[in-house]
Amino acid sequence: MTAPPTDLPEADFTLEALPHLDAVAGFARWLAGNGADADDLVQETFLRAHRSWQTFRPGTACRAWLFTICRNLHYSTRTREARMDPVSDADLEALAAAALHSSAKESGLGDVFDRFDLRDAVRREIEKLPPATREVVVLVDIEDWSYEDTARALEIPIGTVRSRLFRGRRVLQERLLTHARDAGLVGGNRQEKKG
Amino acid sequence: MQKLDCETVMRQLWDYLDGELTPEWALELAAHLAACQRCHPQMAFEQAFLTVLASTRSTGNHSAALRQRVMAMLQAEGITPSARD
Repeated sequence: MTAPPTDLPEADFTLEALPHLDAVAGFARWLAGNGADADDLVQETFLRAHRSWQTFRPGTACRAWLFTICRNLHYSTRTREARMDPVSDADLEALAAAALHSSAKESGLGDVFDRFDLRDAVRREIEKLPPATREVVVLVDIEDWSYEDTARALEIPIGTVRSRLFRGRRVLQERLLTHARDAGLVGGNRQEKKG
Repeated sequence: MQKLDCETVMRQLWDYLDGELTPEWALELAAHLAACQRCHPQMAFEQAFLTVLASTRSTGNHSAALRQRVMAMLQAEGITPSARD
């Protein structure tokens, strides 16, 4: 059981919360893009966090608490529809990804993720994912959160985390393989990783 | 112990790579993946994919202007940022 809110010294806010500013800014940019909206979201997140500091429970993850505030602020101005994405079966998505690997091998792209620097393409494709899928992919695959922590922060069941995550990964793989084919990476050496 | 089939392993591969399985179940999958010529390349493909995703993580140092803006806002709220920040 977590401790109830206590009287937290103001000074703790600068020590506990501010070191996460860069991480929050990174998360905000995945949610709101690279423009001024993301910077506004970061500022609003820290303002809200400071004003709610007495509700932070010492000993819990401050970064997760800030991300939750950031996400809630972001979605507070958006419609429910903008947050919805198609329901998918996690196991079927995993099997579909296995089929993608077979297809990639047949077209000479079986080692595409090892051989080529696809980070820019990955960033672009993550930005194109539906918001509800994107936030799960960002938290689990980029921020390295567990399914349980992600479910708690997003207030959704773990099964929904899993299905959104697996769908997002499968979609990203499809698009990256298409990108690799279109860029002529099959059997070539363009954008090959250095070193 | 019941022998795992490839389809079961494929269904659980991402859970395995994410460290979300019980230790006992993870060991069973690991044993299958180490020995199966069909599943092992699939695991390597997925691991490489997940490594690329993780490599897109921001390394910090978003604009100094943003940091100054947040600091100024907090000072206006009555907070004096510590030297550490």
